[in-house]
Amino acid sequence: MSIDTRASDADLIARSLAEPDLFTAVFNRHSAEILRYVYARLGPDLAEDVTAETFLAAFRGRGNYDGAWADARPWLYGIAMRQISRHRRTEARRLRLLLSAPPDGPAEDHSDRAAERVTAQRLGPQLAAAVAALPRQDRELLLLVAWAELSYAEAATALSTTISAVKARLHRIRVRMRRELGGDYPVDEENDDE
Amino acid sequence: MNDLATLRELRPEAPPAELETMRMSARDRFVAGTALKPARPRWRRPVLAGGITTVAAAAGVATALILTSGPGAVLGQHTTGHAGKVVTTAWTVSEDADGTVSIYLQQYADPSGLQQTLQADGVNAIVRAIPYTEQTFLNPDKTIVTPTCNYVTLNDREPLSVQGAVLTVGREALPALFVIHPAAIPPGSALFLAFMVSPPNATGNIAMKPVVLSDDTAPACVPVTTKPASGASAPPIGQKAGSPAPHVLPKAA
Repeated sequence: MSIDTRASDADLIARSLAEPDLFTAVFNRHSAEILRYVYARLGPDLAEDVTAETFLAAFRGRGNYDGAWADARPWLYGIAMRQISRHRRTEARRLRLLLSAPPDGPAEDHSDRAAERVTAQRLGPQLAAAVAALPRQDRELLLLVAWAELSYAEAATALSTTISAVKARLHRIRVRMRRELGGDYPVDEENDDE
Repeated sequence: MNDLATLRELRPEAPPAELETMRMSARDRFVAGTALKPARPRWRRPVLAGGITTVAAAAGVATALILTSGPGAVLGQHTTGHAGKVVTTAWTVSEDADGTVSIYLQQYADPSGLQQTLQADGVNAIVRAIPYTEQTFLNPDKTIVTPTCNYVTLNDREPLSVQGAVLTVGREALPALFVIHPAAIPPGSALFLAFMVSPPNATGNIAMKPVVLSDDTAPACVPVTTKPASGASAPPIGQKAGSPAPHVLPKAA
């Protein structure tokens, strides 16, 4: 007897309505990624709680999942985002931490990555300040794209909006960031419409 | 230079061990909150001396930590016939006090190591990799794997009553859990399982539910693309280039 071990998230979620245990597979697939994102946003004190709450909320709301999306990540990020928004003060403290201590990770051999790291270290405090100054919804979008690495379509799903709205908002955000950081901001016009 | 990539470099990262510890705790809380039954036996993160939690390494070669159960966990020792646990990044084999042997599969990897571990625990097991081919279509990050042959055991397996006595399925899909009752395996029989050892980003993986064979001869893997000749012998196992060949059991005399 053969079993498909790569059933889509949509399939697992639909089947979990009758067999709730199947939802643990959704947790196992995506919890590490969601946790990393929550950790980045809120830090170690809340990451575990918020991740657990995210998946609990997903479990309770699985009956409303849009089965057209085979991959549940955007949906989960949307839920995580709402959970994170309950902890704005913590996030603000986290961003202040970034202001004072930009990350110092291991050196990378890849030259492009190394360049980005150097730029990030140099611009870290200003970038963090600019991100912190963004309106909450803009910050959510920017971090979903930059930190969660969601595509525009996925970010649109997470934010319950359209792709064109995501593109327009992100463009506006990046223009604002460039304006605030001046000539130091790494410009990549080609990627504005990625 | 991409401004988003630069921003990405600002993302605070947790140490992997810390992240995995938090993830497992979040899982416990999630399971408790949903009132879902945790897998039985309840699998705990193995804790080494000094309180260091073992963590699954990045996807790749499975490495084994061998622990005896109880407070006196010892690394690097596994004594056949004693309650103990072999933990790898892909699977855990636990020999329980009642003589049952549990297989907890998190990834389909290291079939030869799994076979050897089961045999050390008194389960006459044959574990095979299902050979496959890879295809990549529009998205270069997505690989679709297709088996090139299937292990056919329909005519070489013990009756259902024996299957039920030997094997309890906790869960078939990953993370899978199987509980084996070695004492119920008839003499001369073997437990057979096979799975595809494919890249982590692949879709189309398949695995065979464990089955009790009527003898301890490895079944043939019948090609799926061509009509198998009568009495076709098994092709090379784990034929994916670069992957180590699994251990092959000698045929019964």
